[in-house]
This record gives sequence, C-alpha cells and structure tokens, in this order.
Amino acid sequence: MMTYIVFILSVIFVVSFVGFSSKPSPIYGGLVLIVSGGVGCGIIMNFGGSFLGLMVFLIYLGGMLVVFGYTTAMATEQYPEVWVSNTTVMGVFLLGLLMEVMLVLYVLKSEEVGVVFKFSGMGDWAIYDTGDSGVFSEEIMGVAALYSYGAWVVIVTGWSLFVGVLVILEVTRGD
Amino acid sequence: MNPLIFTTILMTVLLGTMIVMMSSHWLMIWIGFEMNLLAIIPILMKKYNPRTMEASTKYFLTQATASMLLMMAIIINLMHSGQWTITKVFNPTASIIMTSALAMKLGLTPFHFWVPEVTQGISLTSGLILLTWQKLAPMSILYQISPSINLNILLTMAVLSILVGGWGGLNQTQLRKIMAYSSIAHMGWMTAVLVYNPTLTMLNMLIYIMMTLTMFMLFIHSSSTTTLSLSHTWNKTPLTTTLILITLLSMGGLPPLSGFMPKWMIIQELTKNNSIILPTLMAIMALLNLYFYMRLTYSTSLTMFPSTNNMKMKWQFETKRITLLPPLIVMSSLLLPLTPMLSILD
Repeated sequence: MMTYIVFILSVIFVVSFVGFSSKPSPIYGGLVLIVSGGVGCGIIMNFGGSFLGLMVFLIYLGGMLVVFGYTTAMATEQYPEVWVSNTTVMGVFLLGLLMEVMLVLYVLKSEEVGVVFKFSGMGDWAIYDTGDSGVFSEEIMGVAALYSYGAWVVIVTGWSLFVGVLVILEVTRGD
Repeated sequence: MNPLIFTTILMTVLLGTMIVMMSSHWLMIWIGFEMNLLAIIPILMKKYNPRTMEASTKYFLTQATASMLLMMAIIINLMHSGQWTITKVFNPTASIIMTSALAMKLGLTPFHFWVPEVTQGISLTSGLILLTWQKLAPMSILYQISPSINLNILLTMAVLSILVGGWGGLNQTQLRKIMAYSSIAHMGWMTAVLVYNPTLTMLNMLIYIMMTLTMFMLFIHSSSTTTLSLSHTWNKTPLTTTLILITLLSMGGLPPLSGFMPKWMIIQELTKNNSIILPTLMAIMALLNLYFYMRLTYSTSLTMFPSTNNMKMKWQFETKRITLLPPLIVMSSLLLPLTPMLSILD
C-alpha cells in the first residue's frame, strides 16, 4: 500500500473536491475542505516537501479556513443543506463519485498508474549539500526565491488579492 | 462608483492585459488573465440593474471556464516538456485545449454564444471595452503559440465564426448585438490567417479596434442603442450621419476605405498558400456582414426612417464632446493608400 499511497491520497483529494463542489451549505464545504487540505499536505509530504505541507495546515487551514468558518457561522441558515438533503446536490455528488470511480478503475486496470506518477518522473525536490552550512532542501529554497528573484510575482499576486477585495466590495455594494 | 476605486479597477484591467502580453512564464500569463477578468466585472456592472448583473455573470462563467482550460493545457505542456516558458506548445493535446480556451476567450464559434448576450446587457462604454481591449490579451497568446496550433481546428473555428457572425447579425435591430456579431466575424477573419502570416492578424486587429472604437463612439455621441434611435441622428447632428455611413461601409470591407486593407491582405496571403476555396468562401460570407451594415446606413443616412412628426423637431441636451472621435474617423476610413507601407513589416 505504501507504494500507492500518493495515488490513494489523490483519490481522497478528488473525492473531497467533488464533495464541496456539489455545493452543500458552506459550512459543510469547509468541512471537506479541511479533509482535502490535510490530504493535500500528505501528498506534498510524500514528495519530500515537509515545509510546504505544514504551511498548508498552518496558514490555509489554521488561518484562512478558520476565518471562513467564523464568517459562515455568522451567516448560516437554520437548516443548512447536506449532501443528502437536496436531490440536486446528491445527484451531482454521486455523479462526481461515479466519474472518479471509473477513472480509478481505468488507471488500475490499464496498469497505467504511471499516469498519476508522471509528475514524479521529474523527481522529488532536490536536496543540496553545501558542505559548510549543512543540507538545504529545494522546496524551502523555492519559497525563499519567491521573495528574492520572484519579487515581481509577489507584487502581482499581492495586487490581485488587493483588487479582489476591492472588486468584491464594489460588486456587493450595489447602488 | 467612487472615482478613485473606478480608476484603480480600470488600471488593473490594463495591468492584467499588460502582464499577459509581457510575460514569458505560463503561470504569470494565467495570473494576468485572471486579474483582467476579476477587474472587469465591476466595470461591466457599472449600472446596477438585473440585466448588467446577468451579463456580468455570464461573462465571468465563460471566461473562468476558459481560464481553467488554459491552466489544464499549461500543465499538460509542463508534463510533456518540463518547462514553463512560452514558446511552441509541443504536445498536440495541450495545443488543442489551449486553442479552445483562447477561442472561448475571444468569442469564436462554437463558443460565441456569450458575446451578443453580454454585449447587450451592459452599457455602451463597457461594451466598447469588452469588444476591443479584451481581445488583445488572448490574441497576443495565439500569436505567440501560432507555430504549433492545429490548422484544422483553427480554420474550422474561423470559417464558422465568419458564417455565424454574418448570419446571426441579420435579424438584429439592437446596435450592441450588431457590434457583437460583427466582432465574432472579425475574430474569424483574424484567426483564419494566424497560421499563415501572424502579422496580418495583428494588422486586422489594429484596424478592427479602430473601426469598432469609431462606431461605438458615434453611438455614444448620439446616445443610441437601437436602429430606430440611430435613424434620428439626421435631426440631431447631421454630420455624424455621414460619418456613420462611411465608418459602417469601412467595417463592411469596401474599398477604397481602410476596412478593405485587412481583408485584401488576408485573401492575398491565403491564395499565396494555395488555398483558393477558403478565401472565396470567406469573402462571400463577409457579404452577409455587409448586408446588415448597409441596412443600418439605409435607415440612418440614406433615407428618412418613418417616425412620428414630433421626432422631426427634436431638441437635446448639449452633445458630449468626444475629442478622440475625428482622428479615429479619419483613420478608420482613409488608411487604404498606406498599404504599401506594410512592406516594412518584413
């Protein structure tokens, strides 16, 4: 099972994505988002990226999702929608599950588990050994490079987030 | 809208397109597209009524789907070539998906259904930005990946777009829908020559933007959104009546006006590449376009459209002054003699 752990985790990942995109009430969407965040962290850790995986838990689940949960709890209705309460939601969820099951069967039958592992053909994150100051991992260097060589990316993403807030406020403000 | 916020959001639309055109990393291009989409939504929704909200929602849904398809094509390209720089797209699957995504963004057939509905639901100025500026970013990406685009798919989409753009505009009296169908047809002309000579695509884009800007500004000047209200311009500002005539004939591609230049160059380039049936079909289908432009000129400039008697003595508030309008009119009608200058593009 350990050799297929990334495959299993990615199946759970997709199933939880189906779970929240079949649109139950947002609070239940947040619930499966926690599951998908944890499973995504597991996938990244299997490629050697412990820092990024723990960042998912800390920043994404522990910061953004908590704020989302609080705001949803303020705006929730008396009987929120579950996956089984509404025919449409259940239908979409079952359809998504069916497609995922068919895909899993296709992948397992055709022995093409390589279709999932093709990314790992590019290798895990490389580990550098500089000799004097110890061992560096490439993924942490990548995060550091974001703030040095990738300053333009920081500017662009920061500006997009800021304008995103402006746009949302403008759209919901109305007249 | 608060003027400061409006300026910020408008600048973000510009910044998004600039990022798409300037970047060499596929992820930055995707970010540019998303920034562009996000920032143009409140511009489309400037007037707050259910029609603009519906139009903005339709625009957002189609463009977001196109961005998702683009991201999938980028990742398939990454899987097969291992690099993120924007050059030829090496994998045929990724190339087809990317072409479909960019066609959805441009409004090519069979993804053209959102163009008339979104253009009709928004104000004239927002429609202007939608039909001119928003075409720049996807077209620049198509230009950059043009060596690897599957010819059959692109030419099919182009020819069908010319047909749909001409045929669909025949039954319209609303000016914004007419401009939307004209945009679909022009995008078809532009993408037909993309694989053969991408420079002509850019030339066509330039002249199309000038002519569409002119038309929209003439509509804004006379505050008309239907054929009926356009037919009253002889009473309000008789000069714009003649200018509408000239610009519409230029859009239809009649010599000796500038609109003939891209069509002529495109047909010449296609015949140089030994395809004769295709440009013949395209030229014939452009006649459909010309027909509904002629119908607009007939009701506006050539005849006095039937109206009640008090419409013949209209008064109006002081007309908006559009400074850019006269140079645009000159450029969109008189540029044809400059065609030999295109030889400097080699």
